[in-house]
Amino acid sequence: MNRRTFLVTALAGTGALALGVNLYSPSYVGVNKHLNSEHQLLFSLLVPVFLDGALPQTESLRVAAQNRTIDAIVATMALLPTDARDELEQLLTLLESRLGLLLLTGSMTPLLLRTPNELIEMLEKWRSSYLDMMVTAYQGLRELVVASYYACPEHWGRLNYEKPILFS
Amino acid sequence: MAIQDPIVEGLAKGWNHIDASQVSAPLTLEADVVIVGSGAGGGVAAEIMAEAGLSVIIVEGGPLKSSESFNMEERRAYPNLYQQAASMKTKDKAIGIFQGRAVGGSTTVNWTTSIRTPDHALAFWAKEKSVKGLSTETLAPWFAKMEQRLNISKWEFEPNRNNMALKQGCEALGWEYTVIKRNVAGCWNTGYCGMGCPVNAKQSMLVTTIPAALERGATLVSRAKVAKIEYHQDKIFGLKAQALSQTLTPTGVELLFKAKHYILSAGAIHTPALMMRSKLPDPYGIIGKRTFLHPTVLSGALFNDAINGHSGAPQSIYSDQFVWQNGAAGDLGYKLEVPPVHPILIASKTLGYGQSHADLMAQFNQLQVTIALVRDGYHPDSQGGQVELTDHGFTLDYPLNNAFWEAARRAFASMAELQFAAGAEKVLPISEGMSMLSSWPQAKKAIAEMTLAPLKTIVASAHVMGGCPMGEDPKMSMVNSEGRSHYFDNLSVMDGSLFPTSLGANPQLSIYGITARNATLLAQELKLKS
Ligand SMILES: Cc1cc2nc3c(=O)[nH]c(=O)nc-3n(C[C@H](O)[C@H](O)[C@H](O)COP(=O)(O)OP(=O)(O)OC[C@H]3O[C@@H](n4cnc5c(N)ncnc54)[C@H](O)[C@@H]3O)c2cc1C
Repeated sequence: MNRRTFLVTALAGTGALALGVNLYSPSYVGVNKHLNSEHQLLFSLLVPVFLDGALPQTESLRVAAQNRTIDAIVATMALLPTDARDELEQLLTLLESRLGLLLLTGSMTPLLLRTPNELIEMLEKWRSSYLDMMVTAYQGLRELVVASYYACPEHWGRLNYEKPILFS
Repeated sequence: MAIQDPIVEGLAKGWNHIDASQVSAPLTLEADVVIVGSGAGGGVAAEIMAEAGLSVIIVEGGPLKSSESFNMEERRAYPNLYQQAASMKTKDKAIGIFQGRAVGGSTTVNWTTSIRTPDHALAFWAKEKSVKGLSTETLAPWFAKMEQRLNISKWEFEPNRNNMALKQGCEALGWEYTVIKRNVAGCWNTGYCGMGCPVNAKQSMLVTTIPAALERGATLVSRAKVAKIEYHQDKIFGLKAQALSQTLTPTGVELLFKAKHYILSAGAIHTPALMMRSKLPDPYGIIGKRTFLHPTVLSGALFNDAINGHSGAPQSIYSDQFVWQNGAAGDLGYKLEVPPVHPILIASKTLGYGQSHADLMAQFNQLQVTIALVRDGYHPDSQGGQVELTDHGFTLDYPLNNAFWEAARRAFASMAELQFAAGAEKVLPISEGMSMLSSWPQAKKAIAEMTLAPLKTIVASAHVMGGCPMGEDPKMSMVNSEGRSHYFDNLSVMDGSLFPTSLGANPQLSIYGITARNATLLAQELKLKS
């Protein structure tokens, strides 16, 4: 996947382009939830990385699958108990702020401007970090994304899995 | 063909059910006995109390769901039927915990394995934990009673391919294995026990004891979370609860429950958390400590033929080859079982992302999974976890130490040996840094050298026990051997929090049998008083 299609699919799905502009304006630091309360833009960047190889090849199907997954992520987050949701919100908010990015990734470059390979590099750093906080961040995001993706029956085709039909 | 739904039918007939999400003004309800929680302990207690002619209220934090809404999809089952939508974790996030939260508690979603309390556990409790009167002999009639009540018998069907691999591996290696007894009647063998039985074959509390209690006039209040136990000197005088909305957040409406006797059956973690939040006397600092999980490690194996681990009785064979090998107090042992294989469960309990994860998931139907449940709480270095209150709820601090990791390493080796002996092409110990191993000699070496650590090694548990232990010595127990509080005349605990150690076996039947005994003794006493 080249960088341009990556960005296009990431954004087409969310309709959050406008939010992105606000998000990365220099005055945006810290919590400002109404700008993008559901973190859709952020997930539109992370979902294709976590699910590379699982998402459908065909562009329109892939975009649909990404959108469904983001919806499922938002739904999942709403169900988390307060403590867990607060923690996750904190992490996402950090990832959406330049200072937070610096803290978590050692660079202020917005995730939006990073290539898929750079995002993978970031995840791999967290994954193998000696800091529990980083590993937890990686695992929290990973679990949220893969669980939300495989929650949708539309994504079971590749597994050759179907739930049984008990009653006809 | 339509499936009979005893819950829908009972409600239509006029069972007393209050869905607290629909209550708009404060409410006070009174009965002889109020029971908090409707799972393995609460369900059995409710039936026995109601049968004895006592008036009973069952207060359950989760919703009342029934087969009508069990659609065999994890995305519906987890948020509806599990604590924290099945995403609960220990404080450091190293262990994922599955626990039920709906009428029927964890029994609504459990996998039906039914095992009597092991002799080793009972002997250890008698010798080390001041437990009196609970021996294999004294409990036998209670287990027999519950086995009959819940239709518990050996699963004589051919095991599914997932369980068959466990059996074949044991046979090839000369290891012990046992055909599991299950609590089912007219089971369709579909493999969806973990999402609520869609055909009401599982004899969970949802379709057995709770309906029986309601039939006898008990009241069920669902979506009501007990928040505080009110007491004065040695008497409990009320339970304050919050009504919860459809999405299980407090609506602001308060409910008050009053009774002659109170039974806490909110399960391990929640019974202790409720006691801590209510600041019940605890002179020896016992509440919420020594919570046990049977921390479980996983080994995946790829076979040439279809395993289809999602289909068929989820558990039907286990091996106790390694559980008690070193004696109860020796090095930690582990029980070998298999779990059901469903998309979210497996996607989240495996490692990595992107192409490698997608490749593993693409082989979903070829994937056999074996689990090793580590028996914790016996060895001096196995103290389990500790419930802590937070601003919004609770957390379970559960350090995984060397004693555990040594057992985990042995368990990974046993699982790999077993899977290869059963014909696996490749084996993958589920821990960061491991790749597919292609032979037992290769696996043996790799496992001996692998790094095991919290957050790197996947650890999960569906068995929560302890935190409010029983015994005669108040220095090490909160309730006596009959589940009666050491500090309050009218308070009992009847759930998995009673166990002074883990069981080394799946807990449901232990809770059923011990609760049947304790509830019967209590009902007799309450009847005499009334
Ligand atoms: C996925 C899964 C599979 C399992 N498989 C097996 C198996 O095959 N065999 C086996 O033996 N065991 C199995 N178990 C474990 C077994 O089901 C539990 O050990 C057992 O049900 C615990 O009984 P309990 O009464 O202690 O608590 P639970 O059955 O968990 O019931 C506690 C109830 O109390 C409610 N509650 C909690 N706090 C409050 C409050 N403050 N106010 C009101 N209500 C509250 C909860 O919502 C819950 O419904 C499994 C568990 C799970 C989750």
